[in-house]
Amino acid sequence: MTAEEYTRRLAQLISEVSDGEITVEEVLAAGHTLSALGLTSPARIRLIDAIEDDFGVEMDLSDEPASFEDVGTLSALVARAQAVRETTRAW
Amino acid sequence: MVTVTFSGARDGEAPLTWGQRLMWRAIHLMGDSQTFLSCPWVLPVYGRRDLGSVLDALRVLLERHESLRTTFASTPDGPVQRVARDGELTVDMVESGQDRALRVAERVADELGRTAFVHDKDLPLRCAVVLKNGRPTALALAFSHLAVDFQALNTLSEDWKILMRGEKPPPVEWQPMDQAAAEREEPYPARSAKSVRYWHSVLADGPLDVFDHPPREADDPRFIEVGMESTALAVAAQRLAERWTMSTTSVLLAACATVLATVSGRPRAVMQLVHSNRRDPRTRAMVGTVEQDGLFVLDLPGTDFAAACRAAQRGALRAYRNAHYDPFEMQAMREEIGRRRGREPDLDAFFNDRRTTGTWPGLPPVGSDEDVARLVGQTRTYVTNAWPGVRFKAFFTVVSAPDTGKLTLIVDTAYLPRDVAEAMLRGVEALLVRSLTEDVPMAAIPKVCGIGPYAGSPT
Repeated sequence: MTAEEYTRRLAQLISEVSDGEITVEEVLAAGHTLSALGLTSPARIRLIDAIEDDFGVEMDLSDEPASFEDVGTLSALVARAQAVRETTRAW
Repeated sequence: MVTVTFSGARDGEAPLTWGQRLMWRAIHLMGDSQTFLSCPWVLPVYGRRDLGSVLDALRVLLERHESLRTTFASTPDGPVQRVARDGELTVDMVESGQDRALRVAERVADELGRTAFVHDKDLPLRCAVVLKNGRPTALALAFSHLAVDFQALNTLSEDWKILMRGEKPPPVEWQPMDQAAAEREEPYPARSAKSVRYWHSVLADGPLDVFDHPPREADDPRFIEVGMESTALAVAAQRLAERWTMSTTSVLLAACATVLATVSGRPRAVMQLVHSNRRDPRTRAMVGTVEQDGLFVLDLPGTDFAAACRAAQRGALRAYRNAHYDPFEMQAMREEIGRRRGREPDLDAFFNDRRTTGTWPGLPPVGSDEDVARLVGQTRTYVTNAWPGVRFKAFFTVVSAPDTGKLTLIVDTAYLPRDVAEAMLRGVEALLVRSLTEDVPMAAIPKVCGIGPYAGSPT
């Protein structure tokens, strides 16, 4: 998956967990944090569930909450988590 | 007294849902104090409606929501929920006389909740119609917490408004029996296992008790709830949340946890967080109990209170994330730890934000941050309630009130006397108010909050 594909899939998930309150386009348009777009705390928990189910990874929640504010940073986190999973499997 | 006869779409029997399992255990642990878990609620009658149409609307609620037609019983295979298709609910009539009808309804609802439900026989709700000059003005209700949680009560209120308009609410697609079936299929078991792993990582070591000091002779009743109403608390929480771009819940949680850690003389606070847990979209409009407890850990930072708030925000996310589990599986893990460590860790410190929104829309206008400190003079604290055995050491609740910050603290007076409980609430307020005008280093917390490690009192 390319970085762009990660980002787009994440934007779709964010839109889904917000019940469509936040559109994919809004997420992809840079410059706003997810909080500023209206991503609520319950939606954030649903997003973590959705990411883990969709990408088959375990999110590390010890990161600063700021990592969960930007779709670009988030997609890098997911890519990293997937890489960790692949390495673990290779063992 | 009148009888409402109902006839729903289906009956059935199923294992308990995770939410019901949590409540089942809590009810049995609390014994005679289980009425603490009753949920009083008032549904106002909007417009001029006669008794017949009000009772008919009540019938529709009973028929729509299987949870309201459910009894709960122990079986050799574990506890089950039993949904009745048909049945009757006896409804009392109360004339409000000269008093305000809604005030009377609140009082009646509280009274209805003061008798424990016999869960294998009783419907999980009791109801009275409050009348003014013979005309219905409100339904006073008390529910068992096995049947509803806070969000379910709000759903019932929404349904009620639609019914009072003479309209038909949308069909209910998902009921607790459906939820019980879903919880046996992935991804539910995997999430439960993940949550249990997280809790295990916290409980495997660390203190077994909430407080190190020995208990003293308790008051009678032993558990008291102290309340605080403070405009300053609400204004300060709202301004700090905006300043630090986080929720008011995170700010209030951080302050309560910091005060608890300070009083217990420890660098870490461990608390259970009550979480609405409606993450599966199908559960969002379900009347049932879905709430579960998360496990929250705050290690006090070496720097300042702003850092504690950020840590609390992170800790709350982890807690909520891992608040989705089979309580029976969780209990097995806790018992296993108990066998290894001599006994189970005591997790009787709680935080619950019961507001439906994170703001206080009715707050009076307040000037500068310095002005907020002057509001503290209007704050009042009082004892609201008492129980013989609710088993909490310290339980903070942010209560829903539009125009003031309402924070309550239930304490076990064997460990924390009333004056310490009041000082803790005042300490939360002082911490937030001071943080508005200056950076509060963690070392200054005892001085700012007016509290320190509590070592118990000689008996």
